[in-house]
Amino acid sequence: MKNYPIWKSFTVLSLVLLGIIFAIPSIIYDENSENWFLKNKINLGLDLQGGSYLLLEVQLDVLYKEELDNFVDSVRLISRDQAVKIEKIDIQENEVLVFFANKDKIKDIRDSFFQMYRGVSLQISNNRLSIKLNDEYRKIIQDSAIKQSLEIVRKRIDESGTKEPLIQRSGKKRILLQLPGIKDPERIKDLLGKTAKLTFHIVDNENTSALQNNLAPFGKIIIPDIYDENTKYLLDKRAVVGGENLVDAKGSFDQTEGHAVSFRFDTEGAQKFGKVTTNNIGKNLAVVLDGVVITAPRISSAITGGSGIITGNFNAQEASDLAVLLRAGALPAPLEIVEERSVGAGLGADSIAAGQIAAIIGMVLVCIFMILIYGTFGALANVSLIVNLFIIISLLGAIGATLTLPGIAGIVLTIGMAVDANVLIFERIKEESLKQTKVFQIVKNGFDRAMSTILDANITTLIAAVLLFAFGSGPIRGFSITLSLGVIASMFTALMLTNFLVYMYLSYANKKELKL
Amino acid sequence: MFGLNKIIPVEPNINFLGLRRNFLIFSILAIFISIGLLSIKGLNLGIDFKGGTLIEVSTKNTSIGELREILSSSYSDVSLQEFGNENIILIRLQNKSNQESIETVNSVKNLIQEKVVEFRRSEFVGPTISSELLFRGFQAVSFALIAILIYIWLRFEWQFGFGAVVALTHDVLFTLGLLSILNVEFSLATIAAILTIAGYSINDTVVIFDRVRENLRKYKKLELVDLFNLSVNNTLSRTIMTSLTTLLALVSLFIFGGEVIRPFALTMIIGVIIGTYSSVFIAVPTLLIFKFRPQDEDD
Repeated sequence: MKNYPIWKSFTVLSLVLLGIIFAIPSIIYDENSENWFLKNKINLGLDLQGGSYLLLEVQLDVLYKEELDNFVDSVRLISRDQAVKIEKIDIQENEVLVFFANKDKIKDIRDSFFQMYRGVSLQISNNRLSIKLNDEYRKIIQDSAIKQSLEIVRKRIDESGTKEPLIQRSGKKRILLQLPGIKDPERIKDLLGKTAKLTFHIVDNENTSALQNNLAPFGKIIIPDIYDENTKYLLDKRAVVGGENLVDAKGSFDQTEGHAVSFRFDTEGAQKFGKVTTNNIGKNLAVVLDGVVITAPRISSAITGGSGIITGNFNAQEASDLAVLLRAGALPAPLEIVEERSVGAGLGADSIAAGQIAAIIGMVLVCIFMILIYGTFGALANVSLIVNLFIIISLLGAIGATLTLPGIAGIVLTIGMAVDANVLIFERIKEESLKQTKVFQIVKNGFDRAMSTILDANITTLIAAVLLFAFGSGPIRGFSITLSLGVIASMFTALMLTNFLVYMYLSYANKKELKL
Repeated sequence: MFGLNKIIPVEPNINFLGLRRNFLIFSILAIFISIGLLSIKGLNLGIDFKGGTLIEVSTKNTSIGELREILSSSYSDVSLQEFGNENIILIRLQNKSNQESIETVNSVKNLIQEKVVEFRRSEFVGPTISSELLFRGFQAVSFALIAILIYIWLRFEWQFGFGAVVALTHDVLFTLGLLSILNVEFSLATIAAILTIAGYSINDTVVIFDRVRENLRKYKKLELVDLFNLSVNNTLSRTIMTSLTTLLALVSLFIFGGEVIRPFALTMIIGVIIGTYSSVFIAVPTLLIFKFRPQDEDD
C-alpha cells in the first residue's frame, strides 16, 4: 500500500489542475474580455451586478371580455342580415345570451355565427341563443395572446437599448424579464405598462345628442380626450386604419407643433388612409391610443403619401418612447407588473465585496482551527479546502451558472461544511491508530470506514439542495447550485485529494508511527 | 502538532443518555412554546410572503425623520429603518388593501427623489405572487423532508427513519419558534436556510446512526443504552468539530457578509446549534422507544 498508484496520482493532480485553471477567468474578473478563455467566467446574478427582474401578467380577462363584445357585434350584424329582431342581449361573465323576437331563423343565425367563430359552444333553447367561451376557446386566446405579448415585449426591450435581456414565458399567463445593468427601471416599466393600441377613427360631429346622453348608438363609440376626461368624442367604432399597418415611427420635431411622432404606413395602410381622407375632407380624424384620443385634427386635404405626424403635448422623451411603442406594435392585452426586484449597481458591488470578505475570513478561521486541532493533517485538509473553493468557482464558470448573493452564502457555508468529510476521516484514523501500529494500514482503514458515512451524510444534503433548486426561484436557486457543487467538490477533495496528500506526506516524511 | 485535540479525549465516556429525560422535557417545552408563539405571535413575514413594497435608498444630509415625514403624508402604513449605517434607509410599505400595484414604487420614488443619492434596491411583490411564493416554499420544505426520509428509510431500518423525523421536526419547529421570538424577517432566503438546516441536521444524525448501526453489529451483548452512549461518544469529536467549523464560517458571514444576508446567516446559526443538539439528545434517545435490536430480526 506504500506505493500510491501512478494513475491515481495522475487523475487527482490533473483534476486539481483543471479546477485551478478554469477558476482563473472568474478570479481575474474582466467584464469586457474578448479572450475565448477568459470569457468562461461566472455570470453574476442581477442582485450582484445590478439590474431588474420583472414578472408580467397578461390580463387575459380583458381579452375574454373583448371577445364577448365581438360576439355581440357579430350576432347583431348577422341578425340584421337575416332580418330578425333581437329583444335582449345579456352579457355574463363567460357567455352571451341573445334573446330573439322569434325563433324561426335562430338555427341559421347559429350556423352563420359558427362559421365566424369555430370552436365556441353554441346552444339554442327556445328563442334564446347562448354563446359560451369554453375552456378550449379560452386556451386558444390565451396561447396566442402570450405569444404575441412575448414578441412585442421583446421588440420594445430591444428598441429601448437594453443589453442582453432575458425574456421568457413563465407559467400559463406570465412573462419573466431579466434586465441586467439597467439604470432606469421606471422607464422600462413605463414602456411595458402601455398596450400601445393605435387606431384612426372618423369623428361624428353631427349626432350631438348622443354625446350629451353619453350613449353611443350602434356602430359608434364614445372616447375621452387624453388631457381632459370631460371632453368626449363620438367616433365610428370601426377604425379606418390601425397601428398594425405602420412600418415606421420616429420622434420628430415640428416647428409649429413641437415634439411629434412621424409615421409611415405600409401599402395597404397608405391606400386605406388615402381613400378615407379623400372621402372625408372637412371632417375630423381622431388618433386613439389605448382608449383615449390623443389628437383629432381636421382633414384639410387628402393624404395619399402614406405618412404623417401625430402631435400632442409631448416632450422629447415621450415622443421618442411613443415611437418605440408604435414601432414595436400593440400588445394584445394589457400587462400588469406583478413582481419587481431591482438592484442598483452600488448595492451589487457592496454585496460582492462583503461576500468576499466573509468568505476569506471564514476560510482563514476554519484553516487556523483545523491546524490547531489536527496539526499537519489539518494543514493537508486546508490544501483540500482551498482546492475545493477553486473547483466550485471553476464549475460555476464552466456550467455557466449564475452567482447570486445567496449563492455566495452557499459558498461560505460550504467552506464550513467541506471540512466535515476530512474530519470524519481523521477521526476514524485516530480511532484506528489505537488498534494497530502499521501506519499505512491505519490510514487505509480510516478512509475506508469513513467512506459510507461521508456518502450518506452528503447525499442527504444534496437531496435538500436539489429540491431547493426544483421549487425555489431566482436567487434561491443560486444558493442551491453553489451548495450542491460545494458538496460534490468536497467529497472529491476529501476522498481523493486529502487521501493523496496524506499518503504523500507519510511516504516522504517516512513516518513510523501516527499521532493525530 | 499543538495537541489541542486532546481536549476531547479519544474515547470520551460521557453518559449522554443518562441526561435524556432532562433534555426531553426541555425540548418538549421548547416545542410547545414554539407552536404557541407561531400561532399567537406568528412570524415576521417579509414582502416575499406578505406582498408589498420595499425600497432601499442611500441618502446624504437627510435624517430618517425627514423622509418619514414626507412619506407618511401620502402613506399611512409606511415604515422606515436604518439599514447597516445611518445613510442607508429601508422603506417598507405593507400591502394592506391587496390593491397595491407597481405604481407605489414609482410614486414613492418621485416623492423622495430629491433627498436620495441612490436607489439601491426596489422590490415589489404583488398579492397573487406572495401567496404563490408561500405555497411553493411550503411545498419545497415538505418535499425535501419527505425525500430525505425516504433516503434514510432506504439506507437504514425504519426505526432510524422515525428517529430522524422526530429530530427534524423538532429542529424546524424550534428554529421557527426562535425566529418568532427574535422577530427575524421570514423571507425566501429563510426557506433556503431552513432546508439547509434540515440537510445539516440529518447529516449530523446520519453520522451518529451510522455508528449505532455499526456498533449493533459489533457489540451484540451490550445493553442498548450503553451502546447508544458509546456511539455518541465515538462520534462526539466529529460532531463538535464539524459544528464548530460550520459555525465559524456562518459567524463570519453574519458579521462581514452584509446587511441583506444577515437574517439568513442568523437563521443558519440557530439551526446548526439546534440540529447538533437534537442529533445527540433527541434523535438517539428516540431509538430507545424500540426495545429491540434491529438486527435481532435478521438473525
